[in-house]
Amino acid sequence: MRMHKVLTIAKRDYLATVRTKAFVFGLVLAPILFGGGSIGMSLLKGKPDLTDRHVAILDHTGVVADALVSAAREKNERDMFDKKTHRQIAARYVFETIAPAADAAARQKQLLALSNRVRSKQLVAFLEIGKDALIPPKPSDDAVDFDLGTNKKTDPDKAVSYYTNAGGIDEMRMWLNGPINDGVRLARLARLGIDLKRNPDLAASVRIDGLSLVERDERTGAIEAARKRSEFEVFVPMAVAIILVMIVMVGSAPMLQNVTQDKSQRIVETLLGAASPFELMTGKVLGSAAVSVTSSLLYVIAGVVAVNAMGVAGLLPLTIIPWFYVYLLTDVVMLCAFAAAMGACCSTPQDAQNLAIVLLMPCVIPMFMLVTVLREPNGMLATAMSLVPPFTPILMLLRQAMPNGVPVWQPWVGLADALIFAVATVWAASRIFRVAILMQGKPPRLAEALRWALKG
Amino acid sequence: MDAIQISHVTRTFGSVTAIDDLSLTVPQGSIYGFIGPNGSGKTTTMRMIVNIFYPDRGEIRLFGDGRPETSTDLIGYLPEERGLYQKMTVQALLEFYGELRSGHSVKAEVARWLERLELAHRATDKTETLSKGMSQKVQFIATVIPEPKLLILDEPFSGLDPVSAEAIRAAILDLRRRGVTVILSTHDMHLAESLCDYILMIFRGRKVLDGTLSSIQDRYGEDTIRVTAEGGTAAVQSLPGVEQIRDLGQIQELRLARGADPQEALRALVAQARVTSFSLMKPTLHDIFMRIAGPAAEEANHANA
Repeated sequence: MRMHKVLTIAKRDYLATVRTKAFVFGLVLAPILFGGGSIGMSLLKGKPDLTDRHVAILDHTGVVADALVSAAREKNERDMFDKKTHRQIAARYVFETIAPAADAAARQKQLLALSNRVRSKQLVAFLEIGKDALIPPKPSDDAVDFDLGTNKKTDPDKAVSYYTNAGGIDEMRMWLNGPINDGVRLARLARLGIDLKRNPDLAASVRIDGLSLVERDERTGAIEAARKRSEFEVFVPMAVAIILVMIVMVGSAPMLQNVTQDKSQRIVETLLGAASPFELMTGKVLGSAAVSVTSSLLYVIAGVVAVNAMGVAGLLPLTIIPWFYVYLLTDVVMLCAFAAAMGACCSTPQDAQNLAIVLLMPCVIPMFMLVTVLREPNGMLATAMSLVPPFTPILMLLRQAMPNGVPVWQPWVGLADALIFAVATVWAASRIFRVAILMQGKPPRLAEALRWALKG
Repeated sequence: MDAIQISHVTRTFGSVTAIDDLSLTVPQGSIYGFIGPNGSGKTTTMRMIVNIFYPDRGEIRLFGDGRPETSTDLIGYLPEERGLYQKMTVQALLEFYGELRSGHSVKAEVARWLERLELAHRATDKTETLSKGMSQKVQFIATVIPEPKLLILDEPFSGLDPVSAEAIRAAILDLRRRGVTVILSTHDMHLAESLCDYILMIFRGRKVLDGTLSSIQDRYGEDTIRVTAEGGTAAVQSLPGVEQIRDLGQIQELRLARGADPQEALRALVAQARVTSFSLMKPTLHDIFMRIAGPAAEEANHANA
């Protein structure tokens, strides 16, 4: 391989990309698009729906509804208005108690009437508290479940039924879980002669503080107190992984179109007159890697400044940065070689567009895995997936960026896997690229492309 | 030393044999013209010389022992299907191609060639703003910078206006004078006759003609008569020994059957029409091409098959 040819091609492709307006817009727009959801949520959070939330209660026990009404009253007093500005900041919860129907037929009619009130938006929901809800469930009786979020078929007499047509995340239902259970426990204790109203502190909740582990300072030998854990411990690793995905996509996504464009504009054959297919592809991949490193500088510097400004710099060890770049280059080389081979197989930009989704898979699948990995970073699924080469760069980095980190051997094994896979991808892609780059017409079938990769 | 030695090269694509047992020697410093119908294998042969395609069988050697894969820096290749990076300026594009081949700066050469082909005033323009003729001149310059030892041009004159074509022709002749070996393919038989030292005709993947124009013509002998007579085509009908008439408009071209006497044809013609001109000549390259690959030859081939 003649390096001057590779570098000349890389330089041209690099300059052709970074000098475009699309690249500059991409640098700015990508974070906005990725962060758009959070920004939207923040904006909406600032403007909550303040319409009263009316809920009807059919209480067959006759004792739980009062607890709910008073819990709603307390919540309204506590949360409805901003303490300083006295401006309303939350919707009012309004509960009305309705006498339950006497027999089964009347009950059905009553449920229908209340459902219609929900449909006509007079109510947001209605509750039916079963007459036996106060009887503690037996350990074997798994059908009895006060978790309103389950779909288990329960005996309505033993359960609390929550009827609504609200979609998505229902804050009312989530909130009700606490007051209903408190009300039921209160009633049970009252039956046993314990009046919690006289001793309200008995039922007071205890706060749980999440703390890090206690460590010994290596320099002074002193044992340092555990620090309080915050939501940034999840946010920072997630942000690191998302930044990696963004940069990889900015660097590798244009490759497919570029190769197809070179092919459809008949530029490729002139280039092949001066450089071998492998030199041409390597130059293009190197150019894309340089584009990725360029865009990464912006995001990495911005990220470091941001975590310092938020005072959470301690959550992101600087040792993660070399890993970030190793994973970035491995991922970009892998995806760009793959994209170059696919681009060579396409004759028109439409063909390339149809294949673009395949190229995004190594980035999209880890994004779907984010929550799973954040919940159990050292679980079996997270560990296994982070050792699968196409996903290693993103998922292993995410796991490494989390407070507990990963066993020392895993990043090295993952990196070795990823590097071997990247080299194999470049090798196979160059063979496909060489055969396909001058072909016109219908793109080859997968079996045909695989045959080229194996047999050249 | 020969510039190219092709020995028994065969190249297939699936079940199609694009080149079948081709052997060819291209002397250094010559202009070799490749002719043949579309799809006959000219471009495949050129691509194998440039190392874009590999032969299935046989061997290609450049400048003695050099193999194509180690000699690409010596070759300037202008493909038939050629495009330019649309967003690059003429200057930047030519410097890119020059540096890609040579590994060093080619600024001075770029300036000299732009001046020579009257493109200096467009050096800073993007290539997307150029006319087709100008684009082809830019593509030609990209091929000859830095000066190659072997220049391979696949239909370099297609789509060029006469002025641009003349400029490219002069440049090719100048390069040949400086020792550059040139291979070019063309469908223009007059151009091949006037420009090329040697001619190779490939038909259905096989070599059917190879040599200088005169050696090729000698194989056919003086069997062609060009005549101008009153009455045009009607006047030359039914002449003895004439097996084919080609009407060129003001002139009629007659092909004599093997062993036929041109004097008999002349006597018969004079007896029935007033003759303005009559010349006996070797067949033109166009005529030879048509005899091999024209519809009559196709019919004969089918009949023999």
